[in-house]
Amino acid sequence: MRLMSFVAASLMAAPAAALAAPQIGQPAPDFTLPSAAGKPVRLADYRGRTVVLEWSNPGCPFVQKHYGSGNMQRTQAAARAGGAVWLTINSGAPGKQGHMTPAEARAFEAKEGAKANAYLLDPQGSAGRAYAARTTPHLYIVDPQGRLAYMGGIDDKPTANPADIRDARNRVLAALAEMKAGKPVSQPVTRPYGCSVKYGA
Amino acid sequence: MLIRLLRLLALAAALLAAPALAQTTHHIRPTLLAESARPAPGRTTMIALAMKPEPGWHGYWQNPGDSGVETAIDWRLPAGVGAGPLQYPVPHPLLISGLMNYVYEADYAHLIALTVPAGLAPGTKLPLRGTARWLACTAEICVPEQAEIALDLTVGDGAPTATAAFDGYRRALPRPLGGEGRFAASNGAFRLAVPLPAAMAVADPYFFPLTDGAIDYAAPQAVTRNGDTLIVETKPAPGAAVPQRIEGVLKIGRDSGLSLVALPGAVPPAGEPVAAAGEATGGGGGVTLLAALGGALLGGLLLNIMPCVFPILSLKALSLARSGESERTARIDAVAYAAGVILVCVALGGLLLALRAGGETAGWAFQLQDPRVILFLLLLVAAIALNLAGLFELPMVAAGGALAAKAGPAGAFWTGALAAFVATPCTGPFMGAALGAALVLPPAAAMLVFAGLGLGLALPFLLLGFVPALRRRLPRPGPWMDRFRRILSLPMFATALGLAWILGRLAGVDGMTLGLAAALLVAVALWWVGRRQAKGRTGSWWPLAPAAAIAIALLAVLPRQPAVAASAAAGGPLAAEPFSEQRLAALRQAGRPVFVYFTADWCLTCKVNEKAAIERAEVARAFAARNVAVLVGDWTRGDAAIGRFLAGQGRSGVPLYLFYAPGKPPVTLPQVLTPGTLAALAT
Repeated sequence: MRLMSFVAASLMAAPAAALAAPQIGQPAPDFTLPSAAGKPVRLADYRGRTVVLEWSNPGCPFVQKHYGSGNMQRTQAAARAGGAVWLTINSGAPGKQGHMTPAEARAFEAKEGAKANAYLLDPQGSAGRAYAARTTPHLYIVDPQGRLAYMGGIDDKPTANPADIRDARNRVLAALAEMKAGKPVSQPVTRPYGCSVKYGA
Repeated sequence: MLIRLLRLLALAAALLAAPALAQTTHHIRPTLLAESARPAPGRTTMIALAMKPEPGWHGYWQNPGDSGVETAIDWRLPAGVGAGPLQYPVPHPLLISGLMNYVYEADYAHLIALTVPAGLAPGTKLPLRGTARWLACTAEICVPEQAEIALDLTVGDGAPTATAAFDGYRRALPRPLGGEGRFAASNGAFRLAVPLPAAMAVADPYFFPLTDGAIDYAAPQAVTRNGDTLIVETKPAPGAAVPQRIEGVLKIGRDSGLSLVALPGAVPPAGEPVAAAGEATGGGGGVTLLAALGGALLGGLLLNIMPCVFPILSLKALSLARSGESERTARIDAVAYAAGVILVCVALGGLLLALRAGGETAGWAFQLQDPRVILFLLLLVAAIALNLAGLFELPMVAAGGALAAKAGPAGAFWTGALAAFVATPCTGPFMGAALGAALVLPPAAAMLVFAGLGLGLALPFLLLGFVPALRRRLPRPGPWMDRFRRILSLPMFATALGLAWILGRLAGVDGMTLGLAAALLVAVALWWVGRRQAKGRTGSWWPLAPAAAIAIALLAVLPRQPAVAASAAAGGPLAAEPFSEQRLAALRQAGRPVFVYFTADWCLTCKVNEKAAIERAEVARAFAARNVAVLVGDWTRGDAAIGRFLAGQGRSGVPLYLFYAPGKPPVTLPQVLTPGTLAALAT
């Protein structure tokens, strides 16, 4: 029994090793993923603009906290108003909670009034693993030079309670504001919170 | 298409339902409990948030790992009443799709210290109200849960009403390590050194960091021991700057752990590997297993020449030489003997692992800690010795080749089983390392080691059975065999003597005398049997029946009074006694000065102080001169009474040194002791 878990743990080590995270100030891993609208989106195509990456899973209560309250949509709109590109990424594997087909993703965007530039589908988890995305939500900011400027939580209140949003510090908007002012991001790495990303085995 | 539509509808329903967090059913059911229903004013009393997860669901540790959140309570308490932070029991790691979670999958409880203000009149109602929020997850989904919790207490005398439950909760908490750890992070490696006495047994160690951003949670941990230091090697957290101070919990056994703080510093090189829970890199575990298996095989082989085994083996070899003309018989005999040996070894090993899993601190030869087993062995060995000495004959040994061919395999099997059972007291010196490794290996691997031990013990006989050349080397049967047999009875009698000594240690002089009386009785019965055999009577065995009946009756009444003190720390040059509050009160009542110290096997500071300052001749002389009594509290296993006493002294852990001069309040001594400080106390 324990020998089995021994062996299982050895097998698990492979995806764990693949979760080697990108470093702040280093080039952000490039990826090409199909969007819910049906066209491929490549990160490198946005070179010259600030890009926000948002890991999402519609079944996760922490994601629902930020969409249900409208906080995620407001953050998306504010980021885009400041000139940034917003990409929502779903790395849920087929059969796991939150996995979506393009049609389901489009329905989700329409229902929630999402303000992202694109909703990207990553059922293989390749983009998620390249960024070591652990939770939903998990936010990353890539600067116009294609380097990673921020990774971590959306705010500093790690709860599932929508009432906590009011008093929380929105770390993404704070980092974007610092970048816009030409200053380094004061807290480039913070702790993300939420459900685990539902990667495939 | 229809399925997609349904999934879409289900999704929409889930999203609509989401904002409504209020739930009537929980996947983890919370209950608020108090240790005392009548807390005393001006004191701290413990309350607990007991959590009961449904099968398949887990709750999270304070640092949840790669995802998840910690548990929180928003309190609404009466004026002046304060609730401390939630205390978390030792969690366990749960790896899901490459993401590490630090969780509880079985019932767990958070202890909370509740302070009741002084000056509240007895009878005052204390309504405790709050909202508890926690995250309940399976491998697939997560549900944030919340519940209104309530408990009504009344100010009173503070007498505990739920001691047993709370003692259990306290035992599950990590105990604070006396010393500080050191860590170093460089070149993609994170190394942590924890001071831990080399003699402290550690099983399945794992480091849970409380500080985020210190280590990569999902990376495997390699744990080794270098003298009095335990070293954890893993990978640092990706991307983040290494913190200047790391808090965490080191798990050192099933549901037991040590909380510690580590600062940057030098970490010694890795030492002897200890199997770790997430030892996924292979190598280490495999090498440990191979080494343990090799050691076990060699140890088993060596056992063959031990006084308790050699006579049995020689007997078997002789019977083989006697009946050995048939190749097939020899092989069957050898295999049956090996099966008996291996089965008994594996069965004893399995029982040992089961006992340890149940929380017993059993070691190899654990069965020898029960005087009844020793008495049984004593009678058995005495009977075998008398048989070898020629007092009586066993049918399977005495019978010629024709009978051995029939009774052979069964006889050989039981001979093997007996050899293995009797061999365990001899295992200690040779097998220590290998069996120690077996106890920290995963059970399946440990069983393999026990089987290896059996195989080693059976190996010479297997060789005899399968290599006719060897068998031909055996001396021809002849009258010398009887002489040889008589000589072999000597080591067997010596073994009986040793067992009688162990019996005396375990059951006192009375127990030993009872045992020897039983042995005498059996000897007389066997002598009678021998006389009848010599006269060729049938049914010559009946005299043994009453003797056996009396021996069995003795097994039931044998006293179980260990001659050695329960605590290893007690006794010694200071004539220390185990600590209890009653004993302390009695000694103070008698007007004696009392030195009380609290220690634990995992506390290096404690052990250093004991060797360097406490257990010294000059201290013993000074204490003896002033009639100072010494009490030792051993907190190695988290003894609840000691835990309560420590908490009462405002301490969460060991070491703690107290000196009670007659008629004066106790003095708390510094944690670094010298013989001089102690000797000075007594003047």
